Amino acid sequence: MQRDESSTAGDAFSADLLRGHTDTIVLATLRRGDRYGFEIYKAIRDATGGAHEIKEATLYATYRRLTKDGLVEAYWGDESQGGRRKYYRLTDAGRAVFARNVAAWVATRDVIDALLRTDKDTAR
Amino acid sequence: MTTVHRLLDDAFAGVDLTPEVQDLKEEIRANLEARAAEIEASGVSPSDAAHQAFDELGDVSALVAEAAGAPSSTDATATPGGRPAAAARYASTAQAMLANRVRPKPGFVVGVVLGALVVVAALALAGLGAARILTLPAIVVVALLVTAASAAGFIVGFSLSQETTTNHPVPSPRAGGYYLATGLSVLGLLLALFTLLEAFPSWMYLVAGVFVVPGVVLFVGLGVTQTNRKKAWFREVSREHGVVGDRFDRDPEAAARFGIFTAVIWVSAFVACVVVGTTAGWAWSWLALVAGWIVFMLLLARMLFGEKPRTTAAPDDKG
Repeated sequence: MQRDESSTAGDAFSADLLRGHTDTIVLATLRRGDRYGFEIYKAIRDATGGAHEIKEATLYATYRRLTKDGLVEAYWGDESQGGRRKYYRLTDAGRAVFARNVAAWVATRDVIDALLRTDKDTAR
Repeated sequence: MTTVHRLLDDAFAGVDLTPEVQDLKEEIRANLEARAAEIEASGVSPSDAAHQAFDELGDVSALVAEAAGAPSSTDATATPGGRPAAAARYASTAQAMLANRVRPKPGFVVGVVLGALVVVAALALAGLGAARILTLPAIVVVALLVTAASAAGFIVGFSLSQETTTNHPVPSPRAGGYYLATGLSVLGLLLALFTLLEAFPSWMYLVAGVFVVPGVVLFVGLGVTQTNRKKAWFREVSREHGVVGDRFDRDPEAAARFGIFTAVIWVSAFVACVVVGTTAGWAWSWLALVAGWIVFMLLLARMLFGEKPRTTAAPDDKG
């Protein structure tokens, strides 16, 4: 709660807007190769400057949904020690949906930019 | 690390440990251990690290309940990620098909038709050359076969890279792989066939093998690494109605019978091809393959779409 209040004052950043794209963000982290939950979480955490903007519990729900829709495939790693890790692999369907979501985001961003006239503001 | 186990056992206390819940628990545990190890590396005691990692996890009760099979109210409403909210429920497969229909792009249709024309034209010319009706040097016949094989590969690769009603497109590198695999296999088979028709000296069989073997290996590699490309709506309808797909998907026996018939037809066609070739002359032997192909397509049409009423009527007869 404290985070949200401070973020409006300090860094201009909308965590809600970020959370709205959790599925696409997770797909993006898997594009370069298979990862397990903590690696995905860490990639998102590092990209957001160390802030825990997307909760791990939310991510587990996302993995379940993506697996159900066939956008990722899960498989168990063969770690010799400690708990076995569940890895996620991007499927062809996942790649296609990711590409479509990115295109939708770019188009939406352009529309919002135009509506808010951010270009004009920064030019001044 | 034992603290992680204990905290997790507490979180999962009182939940029916179905295989799915067990799965989720093990997944969370491995991730928590990795996070706890990271915190520990910054100089925190193992116990505190485990507690901190567990606290960061957030509320998992809804997640556990969902994995345990409880009807979750949050699932339908909270679907972030810019997707259309809860997937629509379809009354029938046909309705779902209609709602999600993707029409083929005009460019794709034109491309495939042109590709097919190139295949037919190149094969016809090469066939006339092989039958000595046209006097073509061997190298020209080979070039025609390469053209036909390349066009066949193009049709396959181009088709796979298209979005369809039930499938997402295959990414370009994979589609390229299928193009290559098809091109190599088809070229090898065509070279072998034309050598059989005495268009080339028999050492050409060796060259054909050099093309077919990598082509088949590439096909196997692509097949083994192929991931899901079915769309989410189609997977959902498949789960709910269970009767999507063609007859061979639903009726493995029909598919097996079809496989046997196919083998019989093509073996017969090849035998007939050789017999006609040695008796009536090689110029006419290809007719046997055409006949085989016609019978094969009729069989496919008959078996893939036929006998629908019987499958629905069968339960009534018994009841």
